[in-house]
Amino acid sequence: MIKTLQASIPHTKHRVQNTVLIFLGLMLIILVLLSASIGAYQIPLKSVLPILFNSVGLNIGNFTGAEANVLMGIRLPRILMGIFIGGGLGLAGAALQGLFRNPLVEPGLIGVSSGGAFFAVVFIVFGSGLLSISPLLSLIGLPLFAFLGGLLVTLLVYNISSYSGKTDISVLILAGVAINALMGALIGLVLFYADDAALRNFTFWSLGDLGGSNWSKLGIASVLILPALAMILRLYPQLNAMALGEREAYHMGVNIQYVKYVLFLSSALIVGTAVSMSGTIGFVGLVVPHLIRLGFGADHRLVLPGSFLLGAILLSAADLLARNLVRPAELPIGIITALLGAPFFIYLIVNFKKVKY
Amino acid sequence: MLQGKNIHFCISDKPIIGDIDIKLEPGKFTAIIGPNGAGKSTLFKILSGDVGCSRGEVLYNGKSIKTYSSQQLARIRAVMPQHSSVSFPFSAWEVLELGTLNAPSEIGQEEITEVMQKLQIWHLRDRSYNLLSGGEKQRVQLGRVLIQIWKKQAFPRFLLLDEPISSMDVSLQHLVLDLLNDLKKRNIGVLSVLHDLSLVGNYADQVIMMKDGDVAFQGEVSMVFTSPNLEYLFDYPIKVKKYDDGLGLLVHSLPLHHINHRLIQAQ
Repeated sequence: MIKTLQASIPHTKHRVQNTVLIFLGLMLIILVLLSASIGAYQIPLKSVLPILFNSVGLNIGNFTGAEANVLMGIRLPRILMGIFIGGGLGLAGAALQGLFRNPLVEPGLIGVSSGGAFFAVVFIVFGSGLLSISPLLSLIGLPLFAFLGGLLVTLLVYNISSYSGKTDISVLILAGVAINALMGALIGLVLFYADDAALRNFTFWSLGDLGGSNWSKLGIASVLILPALAMILRLYPQLNAMALGEREAYHMGVNIQYVKYVLFLSSALIVGTAVSMSGTIGFVGLVVPHLIRLGFGADHRLVLPGSFLLGAILLSAADLLARNLVRPAELPIGIITALLGAPFFIYLIVNFKKVKY
Repeated sequence: MLQGKNIHFCISDKPIIGDIDIKLEPGKFTAIIGPNGAGKSTLFKILSGDVGCSRGEVLYNGKSIKTYSSQQLARIRAVMPQHSSVSFPFSAWEVLELGTLNAPSEIGQEEITEVMQKLQIWHLRDRSYNLLSGGEKQRVQLGRVLIQIWKKQAFPRFLLLDEPISSMDVSLQHLVLDLLNDLKKRNIGVLSVLHDLSLVGNYADQVIMMKDGDVAFQGEVSMVFTSPNLEYLFDYPIKVKKYDDGLGLLVHSLPLHHINHRLIQAQ
């Protein structure tokens, strides 16, 4: 039986939730410091903080110039990108699960990621003309196209699988399979017409886990992802009400259409940006909200920010492994998240059969 | 006052309900009864705002339902549909807490505790909702709906319930209906689809009797809740009697084989 920790002591529920969030936040900070230190080029922990403080003009200790260059030029933007994307995918997963009222929903499974990838490929292959118009387009065009693709697929899947506010999980998964197949075929078709430069560009992008992160990419990612994060986090009471059903939420005064559109747009923006920055990273959006719910209950007041923090922790840890397991080479991070996530997904399906909690 | 004025509802040009006029007064308990497929649930959905009517209009306190935002509407009326599932492992306490979402003023732990105790679900507070029995789930959902309109207000409000006690045992049914009776004092009009005719006869002030998408009879229970009307409504022999001491009604219907037996004997 799933016993919800917080409800047994209702009046301290919020305090317990806040403690959990603070704990996750501390874990993330520790992981960031470790990630900053460990790598192909080791930076001693005692140099990490001085370098960070030095970058904002405070001198608290000594370090070498090489250490500072590696940390500030390569490692820190990558770590921060991992936090944005991991946290964003975790939160988008939680939001989509709440929207579809189903704990098995994940951006990768229902085709949102591949929809984003398809549009991204279209931009890479055919968008070169646009790049000459404005240099800004070369930075923002890819994430915007991926966002459009993600949004279209989200709307499509929702309309296929829902009837009067209820989602049929078997139809949903089948729609995801069909859309993933379709998007894969379309990507292949587009690549067939690509020239060599575009093909090289695509190969680089599709393999490009977090390794390609730099400060300008990080700037774009934060401009696109942060507003979407804020929009979703605000909606926790409405998502709680929607767990009862769209009709019931409407009875309780939730403006269903508004909430749905905000969730569609925000999660597509997050997933699209993540796909364009780092390729498709699977299973974070599925596993993370689940772990939070299993541990601390289903209240979205905790599930939403908790999924952001735990998603950031998981992806940062996966990236730390990816960078160090086969040093000095790197494993693609998607391999590690799938190795952890796919068995967990199988476990969920088996459990879903037994208790439909 | 909750009014429905010549309400029509069609699904692909086939009329489901046609030309219904009803009035619900605050402080009254109104029951909707009728055979399966009579259009009770459709009328219920139109009154609660889930679906619009093809023609006619629904008025809450004199204003068309269309002029209210979902938030404003949530302060005037609370709705308990027939079945509600919860898609994540929320506890019973948390389900009641959801009712505070648009509660007019700060509704706190005391009110939730009070409602849970009245419905005898306090001991279930930290159980996962989806693991409760049918009757327990109904009481938790009812608790959530009650929380939404629990604080007293100056304006009339309405509670719409679709078969709220169908899975409860008989003592709990009386407990809940007694509680609903108490709500009338808060200037709340209660409208409930019910199947148990003797409960309708003993608790409702007014009754709307539906058949084939129309209102066959409506009015005070003492006036329209009679054997001939019920027999017409359900096409079955039903007897309404007063208890010997004059308190309360006894509604009963004979089993089919007894009726057949008597018919044979009469021949």
